[in-house]
Formats: sequence, C-alpha cells, structure tokens
Amino acid sequence: MWTLAQPAVSAFITTVVRDFRDRDDVLQDVAVAVIESFDRWDAERPFVAWAIGVARNQVGLYLRRRRREPQVLEFDPETIDALQVAFSSAAEVGEQRLDFLRECLKSLEGRARTMCELRYQQDLKPAAIAEIIGMTANAVAKSLQRIREQLRECIDHKAAVQGVVQ
Amino acid sequence: MNEAAQFLIDGYLDDVLTIEQHEELSAWIRSSPQNARKFAAAVMLHDRLRNEMVISGERQGVSPPSRSAGDEFAVKYAEAFTRRADALPLAGVVARRRSVITLLSTATLICVAVVLFFKSFGDSPTLAAAGELQRLIELNAQTMDRTYQITVEETVLPHRGRRGPSPEDGRPPKAPMDGATLYVRDGQQFVLSRITNAGPFVTGSNGKVSWAVRPDGPVRYSKDLNRFNRDLPGHEHDMPLVNIHDGLERLRRAYDVQLLPVEDGESSEPATRLLVAVRDPKERGPRRVEISYEVESGLIRQMRFIEMPYGPESLTLRLTLLSEYSLDVRFFDHESHHDSNRRVEVE
Repeated sequence: MWTLAQPAVSAFITTVVRDFRDRDDVLQDVAVAVIESFDRWDAERPFVAWAIGVARNQVGLYLRRRRREPQVLEFDPETIDALQVAFSSAAEVGEQRLDFLRECLKSLEGRARTMCELRYQQDLKPAAIAEIIGMTANAVAKSLQRIREQLRECIDHKAAVQGVVQ
Repeated sequence: MNEAAQFLIDGYLDDVLTIEQHEELSAWIRSSPQNARKFAAAVMLHDRLRNEMVISGERQGVSPPSRSAGDEFAVKYAEAFTRRADALPLAGVVARRRSVITLLSTATLICVAVVLFFKSFGDSPTLAAAGELQRLIELNAQTMDRTYQITVEETVLPHRGRRGPSPEDGRPPKAPMDGATLYVRDGQQFVLSRITNAGPFVTGSNGKVSWAVRPDGPVRYSKDLNRFNRDLPGHEHDMPLVNIHDGLERLRRAYDVQLLPVEDGESSEPATRLLVAVRDPKERGPRRVEISYEVESGLIRQMRFIEMPYGPESLTLRLTLLSEYSLDVRFFDHESHHDSNRRVEVE
C-alpha cells in the first residue's frame, strides 16, 4: 500500500517543502509515522488520503522548524486542504502515466538535458543554472518550463498509445 | 490551462515566484478542484522528474549535493535492493518503475518495523516515557511565539498560623491569574496580561529589561529580569512557564514521567497523548504536571500544573495553547502595552 501511495505523498510534500533534500527527510519521517500509527488507519477510508493526512502533520512540524527563516513562502491552510484532496484523487492515474517519463527523458539532448540535470540532479535554481551555462535566469526558467511541457506532451502521447486513461 | 496559470505553476516549481505571484497561484488553486488537480499533476511530474534524474545520476556516478552519510547508506541500501530485484525477471520490471525515494522510504519502513518489533520486547514503560520526553524536548527546542490562556482550577490557601514567613508578606495582593493571557517567545521573553477591576495589569520582559504596566500609576521597568516575574507561577521552583524547553528539562531531572495511551480524536484531528510527571518528594515545584500534546508533531496543546506553589498559596492551573505564530517584533517591549504619554520609571 505504501509503495502505491508514496508518489502522491512525496508530491504532496514537495508542494510545501521546496528543497529536495529536505523533502527526502520529511518523506522518511512520514514513512516512520505511517508505520507507527498504522493501527489508527480506518480501512474504510482510502489509504492514500490517510497517508497524505499523516504527511500533512509532518509537514506542519517541518514548517514550524523553518518558519523563523526569512523568505519561506507557504500556502495557506485552505489551499493545502484543496491540494490534499487533489493529490488523493490524482494519485493512481497520475502515477501510471508517469511511468512513461523515463522513456520520454531519453529524448532530451544537449542543453536541455544539461539544464534538467542541473535543476534536478544538483538541485540548482534558475539563477544558479544561468551562471553556469551563460544564460539569463529568466531564459533558464522559460527553458525549464518548455522542457516540462515537452515531457508532458511525450507522456500524454505514450499514454494515449498504450490506452492509459487521463 | 491558460498561460498565466502555467507560468505561475512553473515559477512555483522553480521557486522563483514573488509573494504576490505566490498569492495569485494560491487563489487560482483554491478557485476550483479542477485547478487543484492540474497543479497536483504538475507537481507529480516535477517530483517524479527529480527522482528519475537522481536515479540516472546515480547510475552515472553523480550524486545529489551535500548528502549525509546516512543518506548515502540508504542509497546504497536501495541500490542493493534494486540489484536484487533486477536479478528476478518479474521483480526487475517492478523495480525499474520504482524511484530511489520509494526504495528509501520503503527501506525506512522495513527498518522501523524491525526496530519497533524488537523494542516491543525490550522497552520498559519508564524508558519509553523518558525517550518520549526527550523527543518532546528536541521538538520544542525552537518554537514559534506562543499564546496561552491561563485557567486557575483551584487555589489552596495556607492554614492560618501554620505557615512561616514568606517573601510575599507585606506585598500587595497579586492580580488574579484566572483568565490571564500569557505570550511567550524564546529568550525568556514574555507578556502576562491579567484583568483587574481597575483595568488590564500587564507584566513582561523583552529579554533585556523586565517591566510592569499597572492599570494606574507609572510604568516601571528594570534591568533585573527577575524584578517583575514574581507574578509568574513556577518561577520560584525552576518550573518556568515562559520557557517550555527548560520546563521539560526540569521534568526530566526531577520528576517520574509516565505515558498514557494515545487518544484518537476526530479523523481530521491529530492524535494526542498525555504525559504525566510526578515530582520526586525531595524536589520542589508542582506536585504533578500533565502535558497533552500531538503525537506526531510534538506540539504541546495543554499543560496542567497540580499543586503549584505560588507565593503563600498553592494553585492548580492549566495553560491552553491559543495560537502559535510570530508576534510583532516589539510586542515584548513595554511601549507596546501603554500610551506614549504614560510616565515611565526605572527601578
């Protein structure tokens, strides 16, 4: 159950915990909390929704630790409520479709591939990437937007061919 | 999806939004469940993209920056898990779909399950309570400003003729504590606001001076931080209400701590637990302290002090958390609690 729920839980955490390494830490805390409180899961309720609820508590704890730091933008509780529902419902289909991502990533070449590696392997933000590859931060941000759009279209195409519903 | 919304989503993913853009995105998400799902889909792609790129990097010998030794161990564990799965034809297909993070968290789950299994044989209730208290101390080491409501459940006066001399003798009676509001911040900063018949009586400290704003007469302040804290219950016996961290440390040193079973609340409410501490007879302070807290976050919702010495009296009182957020930076200065034309005296 956890293996199936984990992608949605991880993505939910990512909406609030912006640093990938912090996200990994919080995700592991959530995994521990899930097993510690597993006997409180009501089997009548979807496991994913419950696990995201556990994640929300852990994220709250993370935010309390970080709140004194400047420039941490947070969603308000109402928005988090809406996202909690959205991630719970999007989990299953979204995860199936994202299985095509690895294949789609093979189509990335040259500068697009480099930017993707800098952003997602090295956790660099557009301004830092811009310094490395000699572009403006704005141009990097737009390129990353196009790369994700290209990957999304690739996934849609492959999902349609394989008959995976959207 | 319109271009503006897509721009905001991508800006959020790359952490380049301004505060105004962030609020705009938040409003867009809230405006319809469909928008929330679109945002969720974008974040799931972003999240999976990161996992896939990390897997790809690991295969090329590139690691994400600044990983701790523990993480590296976990990655190795996950890789070993993947290799083992790859050796089996069917399992290999499944394993290739898993991200490193899935493996990490799954491995964590397995490890924790094993640890919990063995702990269930070896731990005594006292050790478990001590461990839980230590966890609470760590979780409350750095806190937000907190606001509490004080409720006095019982006041016990000393029997006439039995009490000895007290430092309170000759001092004016204390303002009523029941219904008071206590604001606390790290660094021994506090504001205690009590209501008297003549108006609010506010005492406090900003960590540099302590002060008192009576309903009438001059405002007084002193560089002696203890000058105006005698009205705070617990200050005489190392049970500082204004510093949760130190109060918990005191419990560890001088109290026998026990844990009660987890209480399940409404499904939407976090589970809570009660920690009960009974004072060692050789020590001073409240006879018993009860702390109600959220199990997962460690957030303390209520503290109850039974038979707490307070001047010549003994109180049973409870502090209920009203809010936890950053108060104004000058809130703990006396100037924030009286008109600018009030006379101010130094003591």
